[in-house]
This record gives sequence, structure tokens and C-alpha cells, in this order.
Amino acid sequence: MSAPRKPGSPPYRAATGVLALGAGLLLFLPLAGLDRFFLDILTVGFLLAAFAGSWDIVGGLAGQVSLGHALFFGIATYACALLTSLAGWPFPAAAAAALLLCAGAGAAVGALAARLTGPFVALFTLALGELAHEAVLGQTFFSPRGGYSWGGEGGIPVALPWRDLSPWASYYGALAFLLLSTGLMLRIARSERGLFWAAISGSELTARASGVDVSRYKTEAFLIGGLLAGAAGVGFAAHVGRATAADLSLELSFQAATFAAIGGRGTVAGPVAAALLLHVLFQGSGLGPAARVLLYASALLLVLRFFPSGIAGTLRERARARRMGGGGTP
Amino acid sequence: MRFLARLTRAVPIVLLSLSLLVPKHALAAGAGPVESLRIGVLAPLSGPFASGGSAFLQAVTLAEKRANAEGGVLGRTVELVVADTQGRVEIARSEALRLLSREKAFALIGAYLSEETVGAIDAASSARAVLLVPVAATAEITDRVVREYGRYRYVFRVGYSIDQWAGMMAAFLSERKIRRYAFVGASIRWNRELAEALAKALGPREILPVYEAFYSPRSPVFEPVVLAAVGKNPDILVLGDPGAGSVEFVKKVRETGAPLPILSVGGTLGDARVAATLPLSPPLYVQAAAWKGSSPEATGYAERFAARYGYAPVGYSDTLPYDAASILFSAIRAAGRADSEAVVTALEAGVFPGVAGRYRFDRSHQAVWGTPELSGVVVQWEKGGSRIVFPAR
Amino acid sequence: MDPAGSAVSHPVAQLLLDGIFTGSSYALIAAGLVLILGVVKVVNLSHGAFFTLGAYTAFVLSARGVDSPAAAALLAAVIAFAFGVFLGKSFINPVRSHPFSVAVGSLGFAILFEQAAQMLWGPHPVSLTLGPPLASAGGLVLRRWGVVSFGVSVALLGGLSLLLSSRLGLPLKLIAEEEEIAGSVGMDVEKIRYLTFAAASSAAAVAGALLAPATAITPTMGRAPLLLSLIVVIASGMETVRATFLLAVGLGLLSNLSAYFISPGWSYGTLLAGICILLVLRPSGLAASMGRRDY
Repeated sequence: MSAPRKPGSPPYRAATGVLALGAGLLLFLPLAGLDRFFLDILTVGFLLAAFAGSWDIVGGLAGQVSLGHALFFGIATYACALLTSLAGWPFPAAAAAALLLCAGAGAAVGALAARLTGPFVALFTLALGELAHEAVLGQTFFSPRGGYSWGGEGGIPVALPWRDLSPWASYYGALAFLLLSTGLMLRIARSERGLFWAAISGSELTARASGVDVSRYKTEAFLIGGLLAGAAGVGFAAHVGRATAADLSLELSFQAATFAAIGGRGTVAGPVAAALLLHVLFQGSGLGPAARVLLYASALLLVLRFFPSGIAGTLRERARARRMGGGGTP
Repeated sequence: MRFLARLTRAVPIVLLSLSLLVPKHALAAGAGPVESLRIGVLAPLSGPFASGGSAFLQAVTLAEKRANAEGGVLGRTVELVVADTQGRVEIARSEALRLLSREKAFALIGAYLSEETVGAIDAASSARAVLLVPVAATAEITDRVVREYGRYRYVFRVGYSIDQWAGMMAAFLSERKIRRYAFVGASIRWNRELAEALAKALGPREILPVYEAFYSPRSPVFEPVVLAAVGKNPDILVLGDPGAGSVEFVKKVRETGAPLPILSVGGTLGDARVAATLPLSPPLYVQAAAWKGSSPEATGYAERFAARYGYAPVGYSDTLPYDAASILFSAIRAAGRADSEAVVTALEAGVFPGVAGRYRFDRSHQAVWGTPELSGVVVQWEKGGSRIVFPAR
Repeated sequence: MDPAGSAVSHPVAQLLLDGIFTGSSYALIAAGLVLILGVVKVVNLSHGAFFTLGAYTAFVLSARGVDSPAAAALLAAVIAFAFGVFLGKSFINPVRSHPFSVAVGSLGFAILFEQAAQMLWGPHPVSLTLGPPLASAGGLVLRRWGVVSFGVSVALLGGLSLLLSSRLGLPLKLIAEEEEIAGSVGMDVEKIRYLTFAAASSAAAVAGALLAPATAITPTMGRAPLLLSLIVVIASGMETVRATFLLAVGLGLLSNLSAYFISPGWSYGTLLAGICILLVLRPSGLAASMGRRDY
């Protein structure tokens, strides 16, 4: 794993430039006359991008590959839905409670997973995610108003303080969230904590030998990653107005891992950008189902074949190799 | 600097690819003389639910061809615009937006799963577009029409509700003089609701559930469920799973050699190619909206479907969407114009013939099933074919 | 109706037997994955796709009048081997130094295959005739697929275990344990890796071909077996073949017993909970003696 870069080094400036350009483009786009559909696609794309970024905190920076990250996303959407629709809480209170819950769940999963390494982390998180998914699929909740049940595969509505929110409001809300959370994640990545994560990710044994409190930093990674995934889930609940079992599904967890692999695990900006671009490209272009799936799967294989560290990761490796004066990559 | 230079080179490519995303309709304003009537279809066409979704699309396509062969609707050609809902609420929602805002669909038919349908309902209602729901059975859909008529009056459910479904199966079970039954389904909400509704419908007739079980939807083990169900000695086993799991379940029941008849809610077990691989004694019954031979319309539909697609319809995930499309076309004709409010009025007032019978909608915009005018059928699979066993004629 | 007509008269004995059979089917699916994790040292998420490939091979053969499971297994093995060599040579080997990218890329291959299967054979479930059980003696039903799973998984895993301890399997063992030495003594490490990957993929396809009659065949049918085999192989510690088999049978028994005595809806949930508890208690899996190996 790579060590965090110092601000001021050339690739850092370049990356910041690209990010600023992207943010500018996204801020400007709605003014260029995008329709409701495209605004909706981008809004969901922003939330998925933040979710992919939160995966990268755990799976990339700290090196704890998780295959159950949807757990935190789903806990947040279900908390929002249950607390507003069944308990009658106002949405902001439910959202705050959902975030607390996700942080708690993150800390708990982290504490339990801290003793595990490598594929065992992946298996443990996979099993937890699947367990939660199975639980909500079979669970029904009584709906107080209609005399029928909610829950299960159909999900639970989120009672929102607004209805038919302007698509612009959702767009800018989600964009602001994405920019803030990405900024935050990049800051953490370059902080002292990020250094310790990189050390653990590189070799846990070495990190432990040099006196790093491995358990503590692993747990923190799950806590922060879980909290940010939960924040994306709250945004999703607010935008879609529903919590469904798919929010906890293995498919969603795999999707986050996939975006991270394509973008470049451990770069934060890579997974975020990959999630946004892939979502917009594959859901927003009106491709037929067969073409969409085939292109997506082939893109996955080809990108990883030629950019095995993901696009941002491989470019960074090449830039570093060039700086070293070597020219070619090993 | 080299980086900046590369970036400048990339800008035209980025702009070009963005331009591909601009709606085609925005570019081609004011098209031909007689505009076609665009109907949106929302169904899962990829992933685990593609089986139901693609039959759905095939059936609606058949209805479109038929309407156009009859000269279209109000003199306009019907044109389908299709979206893949992927089994997800947010995709169904954004695809409904795409069909309405970008493809200029006048009305929507869909979706397949409950979670997709609730995603599409809000998009359709806020755009004031008529949405016909052929398959999804959750009570939430029609409940919204009653509670907030002003907003959700555009939503109509063509397929049977869970209570109606249970009612039709209860009628069959009591006619067969069943006393004790077992219910087995997947551990998902609508299977649990169906079991509850069935018990409620059969209770007064003193037909009792002796066993109820719901297996894991993702990774089930069937053998212990079969063992427990058979051990309770029911007269019949009601199988609530419409998916591929039902096939494996039937195989594992038959492996034990128990003389237990099975009644399936329909779906995969309505597929003749699948039934041909299963032991058919003791009997395997399948519930369906309509079947070849249940009416002249149903026979015609089944034959046209088989001729076009090379397999016989299963009478559920295809027949209901077909009827939904036919009802929509009739209602637009009855309204005399492609106007959502007029079509809603027509749908509320009219009676619409379909292959399963004559449809009318109640106050909650639910089609009234389980009447002499509109009731499902139960068929029994036999060597090389099937026989309608209910209602008796 | 004849109440005594049911062949099942000893439910608990039947339950235990079925549990062992269910577990054997997990072991059968997982057999190839053990080899990949042990020798190639990557998590392969395309394993389920090869299982599906095997099932559709059996279906296509049966549609053409060939109803022999052995023929289906053989043909499936050959086709899967070819695909395995291709995938191993063109993707797994070159990307191998990035295990995470291998896992995600192999998932991409699985998605590609699912879509191809849907286009080739249609999205609707298809089915093969299962046939009567092997025997129904003494009130017990001896399920045909169960006996086949048990026999073939024991043969595959036993064979693998023997191979690794014999002279013939020395290259595999060397590559698995001392990669640098294997390279330095002149072994074609890359070739052995892609051949291993292909052989393991064949094993998954054989499992698919053999188990196909007992289930419904759909393009996405490989997802659940993939998860089960990942669970079995990783949780057993990826070290010894015997542990893999024992864990598979244990989990088969656990899911059968919990479905019968607790709730059928929780059979998979109990299995997952069991795995979580196992990992909390033994962080390096079932087989590992604590702290022996740092991954």
C-alpha cells in the first residue's frame, strides 16, 4: 500500500486540480439544462460515490477488504424508515439516530473484526451483511395506518417532511454531501491516522511490531467508514423515500468493492469518481439491459487487466515510478 | 504543465460524451405528422428476476402488435418504450422518470416486484401519468389510492390482490373437500401475507393449516421443510413460491414418495417445459389468471403467444401484463383522447374485456377478481399436457 | 389417502442423513475453490459461474437425448477447463499480484457469464428429470444426488489430499508454500497456476452437472453455491482439505437441523451466525492452530 502524499507534491496538486474541475462541472451542469431523469441519476450517483468512498476508508486505506459494507447503508435507511414511519419521529431526528446507530455498528463490527486478517475479514463482513439481509427480507412490520404490513422485500416508506422536492434541491444537496464527505475522507487519508492505516494495510505484523495499536486503528476505520456509509444511506432514504432489502444486499456491497477496484483502492478519489462515472454511464445512457450488463462486465475485466491497481492507483504508481527516474514500471 | 496539456486534449472528448447523454427528443423537436402513442413498460430484464420480467415484456409486445394490427389507438400507432427496473426501487423510480420525461411516454405499465412498483408510483403520480400495475400484489399500492385519491388516482392494479388470490385458492380447496393443508413459501413478505390471507379465508370453512413454513429466499434447504410438512399428513400442500425454488421443492417432495398433492400459486410451475420434467402423480395443480381453453380469448392469446415466442404462456407473469395493456388501450379509446384525467375516468367507469375475463375496478382501483366475470383457473398437469380442473364447467 | 404411504418414518434419522448430503453438496461445490485458494492464492468469484456452466451443459445434453450424468460431467469438465485456461492465462495470472483486483475481475467474468447464459438459454428456469431416489429402505430415503455428492466430493477432496502428499503433487505444494524456491528450481510456475485454476473450474462445472437434476437451472443459479463454497473454504482455514470437508458437512447438518427444529426461514441465517461465531472464536478459521500463520 502506498503512503499518504504530502500536500504540495506535484501529483497532489494535479489531483486537487482534477477534483476542483469535476466539482465545478457538476455545480454548473444543472444550469446547462439537464432534465429530471438525468438530475435523478446524478443525485443517486453522488450518494453511491460517497458510499464507494466510505468503503475505501475500510477496504482501501486500512486494507480491511469488506464484503458487507451495505450493512451500514441499510442500517441507516431502515433506521430512517422505521423511526419516521412507525415511531413517528421527525426525519432530522431519525437521521441523527441513524448516524449514531451506524457509528455504533461500525465500532462493533470493527472491534469484532479487529482480530481477523485478510480473507477472514471479507468472510466475516459478508456473513454479517447476509445475515442482516435475510433478517429484513423475512421480517414484516405492522403498518399503523393501512391495516396491512410493511417490510420484507417491498420495504418500508420513509416519512419525509417534503414531497416532490425539486430535483435541483436533491441534486445540490447530494452534491454538497459528496464534496464535503470526499474532502473529509481525503483529509483523514492524509492525517496521522491515515499513516497508521497505511502501515496496517502494508503489513499488520510490521505495524504491530513498531508499536501501532492495530486493533484501535482497525476499529476506527470501521467506525468512520460505517458512519460515512450510513450518511450516504440517510441521503438515499431522503431521496428515494424508501428502505428496501436491496439496501442490505450482497450485490450492493460487491458494487462498492467493484467501484473501488476500478477507481483505485486506497486513493479515495478514485473509487468516488469511478462510482459516479460508472453509475452515470450505465444507468443514465438508456442502454438496453443486455448491452448494459455485457459492457459493464467487460469494462470491469479490461480495466482491471490493464490497470490492476485501478485507474487512479495505477496512474499514481506510474507517476511515482517516473519521478523516481526509472521510467518504466516494474 | 504536461498534465494540463493532456487535460485540454481530454475536454472535447468529455464534452462529446456528455452530448450523447442529451435526450434525443430535445434535438428532434416537432417530429412527423401523426405522432405515435408511446407506452412505457417497466420490468426487470436482467438479474434474478429477468424470467418474469422478460415474459412480461413479451406479453405487452404481443398486445401492442395486436392493437396496431387493429389500426392503432385513436388512429395513432402504439409504440412501446422499455425500461429495465433491475429489481431495485431507485432504478424503477429513475427509469419511470426517463420514460415519462425523456421518452414522452403517455402512460406506464409495470412494474413486476413490489419494491419496483412503489418506486414507479411516485414518479408516475407526480407526473400525472396513468400507471397500470399488472403483477405486484402488495396492499400498499391500492391503499394509497384510497388514502390520497387526489395524488394517486392514476394508479390501477390489474392483477389480483393478496386477499383475492387467497380467495380464489380457497374456493378451489373447499371444492376439493380439503380438510388439512400445509403452506410453504419463501421467507418474503407477500408469501407470509398470502399464508395469512389463506388461513383467514379457509378458517370459516373449517379447513385448517396444519403446517406453515417459509424457507430462506437466498439459500434455502428444502429437505427438512419437506420432512416436516409430510410428517403432518396434510391433504394438500400449497406452494407460495412463484420462482425457481418451487421446482426444486416439488422435486424434493416427490423424492420422499409421499402421496401429497401440491397446489402452486403459479409462475415457474406453470411452465409446460418445467412441468414435463416433474413426476405428475400425485397431482400437481397450478393456479393461473387464464389458461388455454378457459375462454375463446384465452385460447387465442395462448396460441398467438406460443406461435410468436415458441413456448406456452404460464398464465401469470405474461397474461396479467397482456390484459393490462389491452385494458389501457380500451380505456384510451373510451376516453376519446390521450389525456390522463379522461383515461382515469374511463377506467373507473368502464368494464374491460381481457383474456382472463371482464375487468372492472373498485374504489381503491383494484380490479375485482373472484367473481363469475373475472376469476382465475386451476389447472392440473398431465402427461403431455394440462387440464383445467377449476372452475368446473 | 394412505397415511403410512409416506416413505419417511424416521424423521430425525432422515434429517441427519439429509444434513450429511446437503453438506456433501457444499463440499462438492467447494472442492475446486480449495485448490484455487491454496495454490493460486486468490479469491475466485467466478466459481459459481462454472457451476452454472456445468448445469446448463447437462441440460443441453439432456435436450439432445443424452441423459447420462457421467457424460454431462465429463463434457462440462472439458468446456470449463478450456474457459479456465483462458481466464487463468489472460486475467488471473497477469493480475495475480493484486488479489483484490482478481476477486473483482472474476466477479466481472461471472456477471458476463450470467448474461451470456440468459441470452443463450433464455431467462426462464429450466429443469431436468430427477428420477427416483436410489433406495427407500427401512423408512429412509437415500437421495440420489446426495449419494453422488458424497461420493464425488470425498473422491475429489481425498484425491486432492493424496496428490498434495505424494511426489506427483510436490510442485503444487512447493508453489503453495515456497513460491520463490519453486521458481528458482526451474518450475513453470505460471503454467502450473493456470492449469490449477482450470482444473478447479472443471471441478465446479462437474458439481454443476451432477447437481443439476436436483434443482432448477437458471442463469443466476451459481450465486448461492458461490457464497456457500466461499464460506466453507475460507472458514475452514484454507489449510487442510479434511477441515474443509468436515466444516461443509457440519454446516449442512446445522442448516438442516435448524430448519427443522428452529425455523426454515433461518436455516441460512443460522449457518451465517455459526460462521460469525466461529471467526470470533478462531480468527484464523477452523483448522488453524492459533497464530501459526500470518496472512
